[in-house]
Amino acid sequence: MPTRLYDWLDSRLNLKPVQRTLLDEPIPGGASWIYVFGSVTLFLFVLQAATGMFLALYYAPTPDHAYDSVRFIETEVTFGWFVRGLHHWGASSMVVAIGLHMLQTFLYGAYKKPREAMWMVGVVLFLVVMTFAFTGYLLPWDQTAYWATQIGINMVGTVPLVGDFLSRVLRGGEILGALTLSRFFAIHVLFLPAILIGGIALHLFVLRRVGPAGPWTDDRASLGSETFAPRQVYMDAVVIAAVFLVVATLAFSIPLPLTDKANPSDTSFVPVPEWYFLFYYELLKYVHGPLEPLATWVLPLCVILIMLCWPFIDRNPVRNPIRRPVALGSGLLFLFVVFGLLGISLKNLYAVPRTDPAVAQGRAMYAQLGCAGCHRIHGEGGAVAPDLSTIGDTRPDRAWHLKHFRDPQSVSPGSFMPKFPLTDQQLNDLTSYMLSLKRAT
Amino acid sequence: MSHSDDTQGSERAGLSTPVGSRRTFFHWVTVAAAAVVGAGLAVPLLGSLVSPAFMRRKREWVDVGPVDTLPAGRPTQLDHVTTVRDGWLEAKSQKAVWAVKQAQGEVKVFSPICTHLGCGYRWDDTEKKFLCPCHGSAYDINGQVLGGPAPRPLDVLPSKVEGGRLLVMYQDFKSGLPQSVEL
Repeated sequence: MPTRLYDWLDSRLNLKPVQRTLLDEPIPGGASWIYVFGSVTLFLFVLQAATGMFLALYYAPTPDHAYDSVRFIETEVTFGWFVRGLHHWGASSMVVAIGLHMLQTFLYGAYKKPREAMWMVGVVLFLVVMTFAFTGYLLPWDQTAYWATQIGINMVGTVPLVGDFLSRVLRGGEILGALTLSRFFAIHVLFLPAILIGGIALHLFVLRRVGPAGPWTDDRASLGSETFAPRQVYMDAVVIAAVFLVVATLAFSIPLPLTDKANPSDTSFVPVPEWYFLFYYELLKYVHGPLEPLATWVLPLCVILIMLCWPFIDRNPVRNPIRRPVALGSGLLFLFVVFGLLGISLKNLYAVPRTDPAVAQGRAMYAQLGCAGCHRIHGEGGAVAPDLSTIGDTRPDRAWHLKHFRDPQSVSPGSFMPKFPLTDQQLNDLTSYMLSLKRAT
Repeated sequence: MSHSDDTQGSERAGLSTPVGSRRTFFHWVTVAAAAVVGAGLAVPLLGSLVSPAFMRRKREWVDVGPVDTLPAGRPTQLDHVTTVRDGWLEAKSQKAVWAVKQAQGEVKVFSPICTHLGCGYRWDDTEKKFLCPCHGSAYDINGQVLGGPAPRPLDVLPSKVEGGRLLVMYQDFKSGLPQSVEL
């Protein structure tokens, strides 16, 4: 540490008491790896803020330019794809980190008196983060973004009396368009960060007034305390660095291809929300007709209110989870329902024809090789060779296609289709595209 | 209840903190972790910020028309149309360059911008001069300064003839300098 600079500043600004307040905060029962999730969440917020600022250098929030500017970030800007990847995986990681943070708080009964306010502010922060996720999803302005947001806003529209008004406010009018995109952008990069920073400040203020909860033991008098620095700081730092490396690895190794540019007239597109909204997406499949508002707003509202008021619902002062069977049981039931729905949803997703990157590559190759000169798909292309509209149903055999592309005459004698010099990767992509061509279900 | 003495009690009871080599170890691991995250973020973020400063526009040869229809010894204005990339935008850029076919058949192409302050000049066929309407600079058919405030001759653009077609590479030059400096 540059001690002389510190001493110079200290002699003028009297920094020692500040340092003591920040670093010597007592941790009852000593530092622990189980306490790191709050710091990890805070770090991920900083990561989102930093990467978001740099993405904003190139992003243009209008329907004319949003898609092209994101594609520009992805393909032309140096490290642009990586910064976008960090922002994408950082968002997912933040949801995971908040989940673990809340789980730890719940398990340790750390929301109980005198820390009710900290829990409640935390729940609000969680909701703000989910709003971040929802507003950020529209910004690339591709088909997924457009249609997922369309569905999200329509769900708000089912709220009785005010639903129509609320969805108009969200869209900035009757249609999802330029006004929607600019207000989602403004909310995502200006309003929500301001709210979140205020909430974090309040959350930490309450923490410092009441102190961390520590272990769930009843014999609190026997607990020694340890200073926040250096051991808890070290644990936080190690986990933060590990989380960063995981996020960076994901950003580095998994490409995030855009789907086609948003097309309001293409109603055939099946949007899929981010995984953390999937459980809810799944729930909506089971509730139809007059009961639908129950799932779109009554249930979520109830869950949010219960979460928010949980410290006042669970008035049992005991913190040891073994001696809180009701609280623990309801917590487990909640997790079971959420993860059950998430699991079912993930399973179903693989049955839905999604544009996986190989299919998109294959489609591009189909166009590039001029296959449509002879073949027809859904009415487009020539009619001299077999129609491929439902080839995935009629020829679901992957090996057949691979063999066929290498040498058409070998499996289809008399065929006049030429051989194309394709790499294995290209063969696979083209085959994936063929297999994706199925009857609409 | 145990809540009233929740943290206060234990705080007074005794606050331990690691000392000596243990403390140093925690300190350096923390610094190392911060360095990993800091460097891992600084490189891509700052890289994305400064990278456009190193990008140079690609110059391309553009076909501006056949050579044999150019009249020898009389400047002709030719359209120079290119697609210019501006970030994620693509725009058509249309410039009109001045081509002068010499007696020997080779072609000299001038930038259409006056070297004084950047106005567009024109050829006056009666006076046989290039005249700039802004501040009255005048050049002869070879681009040499005949009068006015122009600090240097007209800027010559790279050009070549391929298969009877005239190809020109457009460039911008700094105005007001005694020698040609590309922007």
